[in-house]
Amino acid sequence: MKKRLIITGGAVALVLLILLFLWKPTVVIYGVQRAGLYSAIAIPMGLVLGIVHIVNLAHGELMMVSAYLTYFLATKLGMDPLLALIPAAVVLFGFGILIYRLTISHTLKAPELNQLILTFGIAIVLVQAVNLIATSQPRKLSVDYVTASAKMGEVHFGIYDFVFVALAVAILLGLQWFLKKTKTGRAALAVGQNPKGAQLVGINVDRTYMLVFGIATALVGVVGGFFLTKQSLFPAVGGPFTMKSFALVAMAGIGNLPAIFFAALGLGVAEAFISSFQGYGGWAHIVFFALIIAVILIRSFRGGK
Amino acid sequence: MTGKIVKSTVLIVLLILALIFPMIAGPYPQSIMKTVFVYMALALAWDILLRSGQLSFGIAGFYGLGAYASVLAVTHLNLGGVSAVLFGGIFSALVALLLGLIILRLRAMYFAITTLALAEIFRVIIRNWKGFAGGPDGLILPSVVFDGAPVPSYLLVLGVVLIVIGASEFVEKGRFRFALTAIRNNEIVAKSRGVNVFTTLLKAFVLTSGLMGMAGAAFSQLYGFVTPENTFSADFTLLPLAMALLGGIYGTWGPVIGSLVLGIIAEYLKLFMPYGHLIVYGIIIILVILFMPRGFVGLIRDIDTRNRSGKGEDTKTSSSKEVPA
Repeated sequence: MKKRLIITGGAVALVLLILLFLWKPTVVIYGVQRAGLYSAIAIPMGLVLGIVHIVNLAHGELMMVSAYLTYFLATKLGMDPLLALIPAAVVLFGFGILIYRLTISHTLKAPELNQLILTFGIAIVLVQAVNLIATSQPRKLSVDYVTASAKMGEVHFGIYDFVFVALAVAILLGLQWFLKKTKTGRAALAVGQNPKGAQLVGINVDRTYMLVFGIATALVGVVGGFFLTKQSLFPAVGGPFTMKSFALVAMAGIGNLPAIFFAALGLGVAEAFISSFQGYGGWAHIVFFALIIAVILIRSFRGGK
Repeated sequence: MTGKIVKSTVLIVLLILALIFPMIAGPYPQSIMKTVFVYMALALAWDILLRSGQLSFGIAGFYGLGAYASVLAVTHLNLGGVSAVLFGGIFSALVALLLGLIILRLRAMYFAITTLALAEIFRVIIRNWKGFAGGPDGLILPSVVFDGAPVPSYLLVLGVVLIVIGASEFVEKGRFRFALTAIRNNEIVAKSRGVNVFTTLLKAFVLTSGLMGMAGAAFSQLYGFVTPENTFSADFTLLPLAMALLGGIYGTWGPVIGSLVLGIIAEYLKLFMPYGHLIVYGIIIILVILFMPRGFVGLIRDIDTRNRSGKGEDTKTSSSKEVPA
């Protein structure tokens, strides 16, 4: 029954997508590109939510920090941003572990409220620290390969943004491999399902949490580096991504990483669709809110959570 | 018995102090106090919903909504300043009622993050609604309330704070408090004990949001303008949150103390650190959550219990069950 629902739903979505492609091809292309960026950022959040069961409200802000790090590595040392993101991701891994050790690990047993407020505080500190160090002036890196474009019939479009789709797929496949095939990954999955049980069979729960948090932070670090190559940077740039990531994870259902990509596809195409009408571009920022409300309503009427 | 008398004497003295403050203090301290009062109203209003265990990050959203509604009420409905403040509160409460019917199906992190998005949503709507709401440029009042006379405008903000304190105490002293606390401690038990969880939460959400809207309306009437960026600024979420946490949540006096302390510090901080002073509030939030989750009030109560029991063996029992003496 459920499988049939997924298949029909998927088929309807595919038909709609094809129709939309025939009507407004750029909407689908830009929508898919946006979906790549969104899911690349949301999947690490899904990982943390699924295993550590913590909402990290500083998620998008960590991406912003990594993007700034990459920016300074690229401008001060003359590195290519795509190369500079490697040390940035390593730094972010350490930073994530530090954040976990110093703050989050102390609130694991506290009510969920405390964790939310705590990570909200961390987000503020990150944004304001960057604000103090780098000022709020927008920064943009001009890299020549991002302007690559392709032509399809009458339509010109940038192709560099497909790198986000590739990135999202790579992150997803890498994580699936890590969680299913490696010993540490399987341990992490077990901890996510039942921390007490995992502890009983000898898994170090605290270390697993720390590792997962570090990995997720390093992954957003990588995304931050890619983000920099295309978008301009300012301290508050990460905030909306925190909310959108959470909306996507909630839509997909916690613990269901591949579904995040489909949720992101819906969001990306819907945003691109609204942006494609002249003068209505500003409304695109609240599409995710409408989507999350819709999903919540559907779920609550079906009797689920 | 004596505790009660001492407490009411202290309250009366504080109230008189607050009332005669504009006569003894100059215009600068007065304007600081007005800002502090607005934040105090927000911090305390936020705490009312928090007592049910639902965390709302939507402070700036409802604050801004009330501010816009009151400015529009003056320009379009020709309301006077004071009734426009009430109008702002009522409008925010109505929006909260409609939104609450949907989003109060959510709990914990789902609810918190949905409310976090609210300020953003309202801002986007207003920025794109050029004809009626002024778009990106915002709106300007033809004249500020009481034509900017300092004493009446001070009393207006004080009045708003007193309404919020009154509402908070009403909730605190009544049966409603037990319903909220029961939901916070265990929703299923609360439900099985006959608490109508959804209605209770909806009432608390509407009350909280209406009070926030009223604070925003008062602020906009004092300064005479609203813009999407300033009015829905994240500061109005961040500062009240830090103030309430520092003072101590789940009660009236924690947010009041916290906003007095932090609000006055904030004014000086702005002078010394014009850019990025918000980092201090972020750090305060983190430190309070890690080391002092019940804030000043919790600290005072712990010391109090320790003194009373002599040795201070069991400081935890007093925390949540007793009504503050």
